[in-house]
Amino acid sequence: MTDLRIRRWIFLGLAVIVVLTMLVPVTTKVTVSPYTQRMYDYIDSLPAHSVVMVSFDHDASSQPEIRPLSLCLLRHAFSRGLKMAGVSFQSEGTVIGYRMIEQTAKEFGREYGVDYVYLGFRPQLQAAILQLGESIRGLYAQDYFGTPLDSIPMLVGIDSLAQIAVVLSIADANNTTHWMEYGKARFNVPIIAGVTASMVTSYDPYLSSGQLSAMVGGLRGAAEYERLLNRHGAGQRGMLAQSATHLYLIALILTGNFIFLRARRGKK
Amino acid sequence: MDWGTLVAGLLTFAVFSFLYRDNPAYKWAESLLIGVSIGYTLVIAWTSTVSAMIIDPLSSGRWGVIVPLAVGLMLFGRFFPQTRSWSRIPIAVIIGSGAGAAIPAMLDARILNQMSPTVAPLWGNGLVASFGAIVLLSGVLSTLAYFYFSRERTGWFGAVASTGTWFLMIFFGTTFGYTVMSRVSTFIGRMEFVLGDFLHIIHQ
Amino acid sequence: MFLQYFSPHPLARAVNRGMLDYWQILSAIALVVGVVGVARTNLMGLIAGKDRINRLTVLAGVMAMPILAWLWGTTAGSPFVWMFEYVQMPMQATVFALLAFFVASASFRGFRARNAQATVLLVSATIILMSRLSFGEGFLSQFQWIGDWMRDNPSMAARRAILIGIGLGSLTTSLRVLLGVERTWLGGSK
Repeated sequence: MTDLRIRRWIFLGLAVIVVLTMLVPVTTKVTVSPYTQRMYDYIDSLPAHSVVMVSFDHDASSQPEIRPLSLCLLRHAFSRGLKMAGVSFQSEGTVIGYRMIEQTAKEFGREYGVDYVYLGFRPQLQAAILQLGESIRGLYAQDYFGTPLDSIPMLVGIDSLAQIAVVLSIADANNTTHWMEYGKARFNVPIIAGVTASMVTSYDPYLSSGQLSAMVGGLRGAAEYERLLNRHGAGQRGMLAQSATHLYLIALILTGNFIFLRARRGKK
Repeated sequence: MDWGTLVAGLLTFAVFSFLYRDNPAYKWAESLLIGVSIGYTLVIAWTSTVSAMIIDPLSSGRWGVIVPLAVGLMLFGRFFPQTRSWSRIPIAVIIGSGAGAAIPAMLDARILNQMSPTVAPLWGNGLVASFGAIVLLSGVLSTLAYFYFSRERTGWFGAVASTGTWFLMIFFGTTFGYTVMSRVSTFIGRMEFVLGDFLHIIHQ
Repeated sequence: MFLQYFSPHPLARAVNRGMLDYWQILSAIALVVGVVGVARTNLMGLIAGKDRINRLTVLAGVMAMPILAWLWGTTAGSPFVWMFEYVQMPMQATVFALLAFFVASASFRGFRARNAQATVLLVSATIILMSRLSFGEGFLSQFQWIGDWMRDNPSMAARRAILIGIGLGSLTTSLRVLLGVERTWLGGSK
């Protein structure tokens, strides 16, 4: 069988497994990991009316994976009565963040300007964080809709990272690192993160050293968080498909190596 | 089904068609993606920054932004051979600012704050914690030794550096596992859209 | 930018804020320059007659988004946001989703236990994949514990060392840039 035909069979196998497992209306039980529990406990411990700055530091390519997690974190924060200030330092995150914060705010009947605000995009993340630490109004004279910050009730008395209870960075790349390097290191603002699974091992050292106060990763993290929130969502729905796919990939690794080792033994 | 879902679904299939082979539908969809995303970035950059940080201050009489505006416009010099060297000035400002801000950030976040938790008690917190602390310390030191190329890898140093290789293999394997999970999750998310919102086969 | 960490004097703070504004304004203009560059390349390709339909599509997209934003704004429900949510976002996510297939293909064809170290890599990856299964507790919870331990100890040790190494490298490169020793960003040695 040619390489191309083998590849196409592998692709077909993956597609069939995902489609079939998604058609099965079964929700598998996920065990909540200590990492997810830590994030949940952290948000739960924040006093009501604390201002959380949510930084949408990801782009559209990671949306299918990170959206369920973002929704969980925003819903938990709104349910605790926390006030959300949305920002974005990645251009695509601008509209994504705006729609997400608006959607979750509506679910909880929150009012714009009183319970949440969306400030929009600024380029050059490092400069933006350093400016936020000095003066939020120095970076954002107006919100995303052109309203001067001084006329937004929620931001009365809030003008730097010193008045922010925590920064929640929702990221699919290294942007959270900049929050820790500039926000945490310079201004000592606590950072928590919701990241894609591929970034989890990159941020583990920061979590261990305390530079990151809490971190949840990927669709599995979303499924665990949904379990803590007692809410059925895309995270839990995807777990059967994800588990089946993992078994398929393990089978592929083992089969490929079995063929390889047999061929090597044959040559000897 | 609304028009948006129909368009999104058809474009999704156009991109998936690449899995069979490269084809005109995929190439066209890719071109559309490039064009729309560049146009989107232009709008966001303009409304969020150029308009908010340059045009609004100028129209309200704050002339201080003329200087960064003039320096920034030098970037357009790269499009003409006679003025190409002008673009080095704004690039120098960007790179210099980044380098200056990075020094204390790197020192604090990546070096000092990473070294201090590595220097932790190796016993006194139970057998499992002690074993973990020993593994952690030996892993950090041996991996650092692996990346030290100024010394020949012989004797005890060679043994330490090759130990670092094992830790790196475990790290790469762990990262691969999580990366696989990430990619699979993205595909599952797209299939949820295709099977749910587009084809209405599953109900959420 | 480096000295601002050492002085709380109002003048130093004012200079710092000014520099941060400069940095951002220049970055925003650099974004615009990048867009102009791409549009220029595609226009020149179009004039030369190469791959006309696709280049026209790129240019149409580049022009359509600003026109839509100018006419109808960028708030929820506007055509600009519609294009982002139903054209850009689905395609971008799907392009990324293709990687799942290539990872599957690589798992079969690329990941070979050629030597002891490659075997360790494969075993680690397999343990992590097993640890992320969600078929309830029991036998699989052992893999979860092993996977978490691997993540918190040997894997993190290597990552920490890499971070320290990157930190030291970035520090020296930044110093070299500031002292004028490093000039590769100029595109030459002049």
